[in-house]
Amino acid sequence: MMKTRKADGSLQGRMDRRTFLKASGATALAAMTPGLMAGRAEAAAYAGTLDMLAWDFQPDTIKKLVAEWTAQGNPAVNVAVIPNLGYSSALQTRLRGGDKIDLYYNFAYNSQKFIDQGWASKLNGLPGVDDMLGEMFESARGRHVNAAGDVISVPYFSAVHMLHYNKDMLAKANIAAVPSTLKEIYDASKALKDGGIVASPYVAYWVKEFCEEYLHTYLLNEGITAFDESGKPVFADDPKTVGVFEWWQAMYQEGLAPKSVLNDDPGKLSSEMAQGNAAFFVLHHYFLTSIRSLKGPQSDNVFQSAIGGKNFTLQIGEVLQMGAAADADRKAATWDLMKHYGWKDKAGKFTVFNQWAKAAGLAAPYPGFFTDPDVIAAFPTYYDLPLISKTFETGSKVVPARTLPWYPDFQAKVGDIIHPLLLGQATPQKTVQDLTDAAAAASGGTKRL
Amino acid sequence: MTSPALSNELSRADQWFGFRLTVPAAVILIALLALPTGLTILYSLHDVPANGASLGPFVGFENFSIVLSSPVFWRSATVTLLFSVGFVTLSTAIGLAMAILLNQKFIGRGLARALLIIPWATPWLVIGILWKWFADGSVGGLNAVLIALGITSDYHDFLADPNTALPVTILAAVWRQASFAGILLLAGLQTLPDELGEAAALDGAGVWQRFLHITLPWLRPALATVAVLNVIYAFLQFDVIFAMTQGGPGDATQVLSLLIYRQLFAVTQIGLGSALAVILGLVALVGGLITVKLLYRGHVQ
Repeated sequence: MMKTRKADGSLQGRMDRRTFLKASGATALAAMTPGLMAGRAEAAAYAGTLDMLAWDFQPDTIKKLVAEWTAQGNPAVNVAVIPNLGYSSALQTRLRGGDKIDLYYNFAYNSQKFIDQGWASKLNGLPGVDDMLGEMFESARGRHVNAAGDVISVPYFSAVHMLHYNKDMLAKANIAAVPSTLKEIYDASKALKDGGIVASPYVAYWVKEFCEEYLHTYLLNEGITAFDESGKPVFADDPKTVGVFEWWQAMYQEGLAPKSVLNDDPGKLSSEMAQGNAAFFVLHHYFLTSIRSLKGPQSDNVFQSAIGGKNFTLQIGEVLQMGAAADADRKAATWDLMKHYGWKDKAGKFTVFNQWAKAAGLAAPYPGFFTDPDVIAAFPTYYDLPLISKTFETGSKVVPARTLPWYPDFQAKVGDIIHPLLLGQATPQKTVQDLTDAAAAASGGTKRL
Repeated sequence: MTSPALSNELSRADQWFGFRLTVPAAVILIALLALPTGLTILYSLHDVPANGASLGPFVGFENFSIVLSSPVFWRSATVTLLFSVGFVTLSTAIGLAMAILLNQKFIGRGLARALLIIPWATPWLVIGILWKWFADGSVGGLNAVLIALGITSDYHDFLADPNTALPVTILAAVWRQASFAGILLLAGLQTLPDELGEAAALDGAGVWQRFLHITLPWLRPALATVAVLNVIYAFLQFDVIFAMTQGGPGDATQVLSLLIYRQLFAVTQIGLGSALAVILGLVALVGGLITVKLLYRGHVQ
């Protein structure tokens, strides 16, 4: 290379001593702590601002967590927060309009679609990604790795559907054991209602957009596989499936669930438990924090239990995805933030998840999370962490089909099919057929309203 | 006296001046109205990918065919029609009643007229949120009012009942729109000369006869404006229903605008959603034209 002298007398085409030492130091640090540290040097190389989009669950906590990462010598992050209701629509509209977002929250069932549309980047081969996956519960990996082996997201949080129950009400109704199966929940609800203890014992988040999660929860509770390994719907082949919909319809039609559950938001449902207007509430485990923190007259009587009996419950988790970054330094900085937010910090601690645990009882899909002393100290004492950990490990399943590219179209239809069932406008058999047809249409790419 | 040549030149100058005055508004209308409308029509004829990176393959009227053969569309169209009839009728009638009342002299009339603006000034989404709480089955004020009036004896979950969800959303929308209708119709009533009514009264015409034969004909232009706007608002109503029920329970309140939203923004079937939007736009246009025609039929100066 031809060397020429610049106006200030220094030579072009040769690295100066300061830059060389900086690079050597960064390289040495990276060599000392593989996995976690890899990528930190690249994060420091990016001098701009990253853009992050999240939904409005504890926005101040999000900004605080991200600011702590920036304060460690990392790039600044512009955090935008939009409502959770309509988040997918708003996010897709922004991306379709050309917005460049470096990382964003997403619903797991949308994650593959975003990869296919070019809105999100695969994370294959990024420094530390294999270590991160290796540290996850095996049951959780299917959410972040697609069938082709591509890594499409990192965890934002994970949760398992648990039963929140009012201990006093069960005692009043002489129900000795906490119900676990669908039949036991029905029998217990009936006993509570007939005994005049509570008018509508069972509450759940049965709004249209959320019926799909409950579909999987209830099918898993009965040991039914919804989709096979290739993503083909097979729930219709299981004779127990009709029984699930008979149960679901009966719970609503017989008044064991209040009529308002088709519209109620989780805040209201938590309030119903806290006020003693409901005895059972099935939703993500961290809603125990909401119920307890409302400090209603019955809040302290609400506890948590596993559901599904010898079968399973649904493990869900929402994700962080990386936008379609073209710039290598920017991508490296984004990946560094994603590891900090969705895994561990530089020191190998679950700093971010620790704070989510403290703030809201959110969990992470890593076994080490549940045995970390800081995390244990962060969780409120009313949580049974060993139970939640065991549920993650062996008592729950992720439904891998939820990350198939056609799945969002099916997800959008489930509520339209379940609501008529609950309202008595469709039979359980028709519901099975309609769901099968919807899955077939979505996977076959058939356009329909 | 101006020569013909000079008056032609003035006319051309006036025309050119007029044209230049309208250009800014025309540019805005084209940018905000004509362009999006044209794009929507274009999308409706293509299988547009979700990321909008291209138009996708041309499919002709396939999207329209899928929409028009779908029972989901026809159910939604029925709900939209029911909503529109209720919304237009009630908001126009209540608006007219309020306008007539506020045109009378009484103590506090000024304050009452000022209060009329409040619903109109409230955003549609806020109206929906307020009414969602008002109609709540556990803590809502609507139940308390109905029980106090002896109409019901127990709390009812209006928004969870497919039989009552739509009427309640209509009420919520009417609560706002009636004030707008009232404002416009009150302005029309203010121009009605008192002498006409007095003369009719002297001739023995009763209240109802004066209303039918003087007030209503006088208000015909204002009524036409109100009715057309109400029809358009009815067909395009989204915010109130989204806030209150999001189209549920089941599809009891799933009006076409909500269906369009779901197709375009949730399911990202852009071609289908655009076809729906074109159909709804045509229906709203036809509805408005029919309304104007009916109201001006047999109009006598």
